[in-house]
Parts: sequence; C-alpha cells; structure tokens
Amino acid sequence: MANSKLYKGSLTTIILKLLNESDKMYGYEITQKVKEITKGELKITEGALYPALHKLEADGLLEVEMKKVDNRLRKYYKLTEKGNKETVNKLNELQEYIKTMQILVNPKFGLE
Amino acid sequence: MKVTPSQLQDLYAFTRNHYVYHYDLQTELVDHLANDIESIWQENPKLSFEEARDQSFKKFGVFGFMDVVEQRQKAMNKRYYKYLLSELKQWFSIPKIIMTATLFVTFFTLLQTSYAKYFFFIIFGVLAIWTLFRSIQLNREFRKRKEISSKKWLLEELIFKQAGSIGIIFLSQFYNISMWSDVFISNTKLVLLTAAIFTLLYLVNYISFRVIPDKAEELLKTTYPEFSL
Repeated sequence: MANSKLYKGSLTTIILKLLNESDKMYGYEITQKVKEITKGELKITEGALYPALHKLEADGLLEVEMKKVDNRLRKYYKLTEKGNKETVNKLNELQEYIKTMQILVNPKFGLE
Repeated sequence: MKVTPSQLQDLYAFTRNHYVYHYDLQTELVDHLANDIESIWQENPKLSFEEARDQSFKKFGVFGFMDVVEQRQKAMNKRYYKYLLSELKQWFSIPKIIMTATLFVTFFTLLQTSYAKYFFFIIFGVLAIWTLFRSIQLNREFRKRKEISSKKWLLEELIFKQAGSIGIIFLSQFYNISMWSDVFISNTKLVLLTAAIFTLLYLVNYISFRVIPDKAEELLKTTYPEFSL
C-alpha cells in the first residue's frame, strides 16, 4: 500500500467527493468503495473514517439518516447544501495542490 | 452467511466492553463490524463468529474504538456549543435584545447605588441559587428518563448533566467572587464590565438550564434519527 500519510490530508475531500457522486452512503460502504476505485492502493482506516464523518456532520456538511437493513440499523450520510458547496471548494483546492506538486516534482513543466 | 440477531446483541456488548457507551455510536460500529464479518466470511467461511469479529476489530488499530469515541465526543460538544451560541445570538437581536438591554441597565444602575455591595451579592446569589435548583431538577429529570429507556445518548447527557456540573463549578466560585466584590464595583468602567458579565451569565445559564432542556426532545430527534425508532 502507498504511503498513507500522503493521503491523510485528503480524507475529507475523498469522503465529500464520494458522497457527491452517490445519494447517500454508510461508513463501511465508503471504505469498500475507496478500496474498489483505487484497486486496493488506498485503504481508508476505520479509526480515521468515523471521526472524519462525525466532524463533517458536526460542521453541518453532512446529514444522517437511519434505515433498518438485515435486522440492524444502518446510518447513512449525505451531503447538505452547505456540504455540496464545500465539496466544490475542496476539490478545487486539491486540484491546485496536485498542480503545484507536479511543478515541484517535475520542474520541466515550469520551463516551457 | 449473515450475522444473526443474537450475534448482533453480542456485538453491542462487545462495543460496550470496549468503552463505547453511547447507543448511537454503538449502533454505527455494530453495523460496521457486522458488514465486515459478513465479508470476511465470504472469503473464509470456516471462521467462527468470534474469530471473524476479532479480525475485524483489529483493523481499528491498537487503541480500538478509543479514538472514534474521543472524536465523537469532541464533535458532539461542538454541536452543543454551536446550538447554545445560536440561542444566545437571539438575545442580541430584536425583539429579545430589549430584555437583554433592560437586564444590563438594571444591573448597571443597581451597582452604582450606595447599596452596590449588597446588590452585587443579591444578583450573584439569585443566579447561583436558581442554577443550583435547576441542576438538581435536571438531574432528577435525567434519572427519570433513564428509567424509561436505558439507552445512552451523549447529547442527552450534555443537556441534562453537563449543564449541572457547570452550575456546581459556578457556585464553588462564590467565595472567590465575594472576596473581589469591592474591586468589581470600584469605578464606572469596572461596573460596566461587571454588569455586562452578569448579563451574559444570566443569559447563558438561562439558555443552558432552561431553554435547551425544554427543547431536548426536538434536539435529540434531529441529532439522532434513531432516537424515535
């Protein structure tokens, strides 16, 4: 697995982006989805995912919904209106970051 | 293979044994573990429930659920104080600001009379006694609620019990504050400040000991969709 420290700062953005693409998701589903998309390259740890989700909820970016599935209660998260706006901001920030890193790592781009 | 209802109960007990005491977080973690156990079984059907459960729990790291619990507490505290602040803001906009201003002017006037020292004690005393009275009431109410349902909710504890502990800390400072009362009322600037602090204390205590507990049901239902299930 790739260096997880590098991904750490982007966890919130990853969560927001995933929720932006689907109507609602639950915690376990998010971990599996990330694993699937990145073909196992990135594994979100449980110990980091839930705190991030709860923080986003407290900040009013996510709202929750409960549903009974397989005899148990499942907590779904979805973006609020504020969350939708924040997703756009966060994704832009991340794009900028990627661009800057590319310039730094590969200075040839800067010489053209 | 699916996790059975009795195994789900076992998972609830498991989270409790690992220091997760609040029902909302227990429920979320139980569902997580159950999902993971079911996917572990798909790859390795021979594993027992306990083995699969322990394998899943290991993924949470050496500290287990501790970090999740701690962060959840922080997030809930934040929500509580956000709510308190939004209630407080209402007292600084029309129409409630009239009451806030009246309270402030009354305190300011009383603290400038020749009986200022007595008024200082009366203003503080009334608040302290009322706060103590309310925290006893809220504690009793909390116990009654727990007789009806034993499920624990962090926000409910914040509303009914944390408010109480603030009251006790507040009262314990009575002696210190009385020692300094002469300083507080020694000149107009300090009287202004004292009147402002008293006004703020009255508002904050009124909100946390009366307004928020009265809205507890509504708040709990919006915070926890599973509360009424």
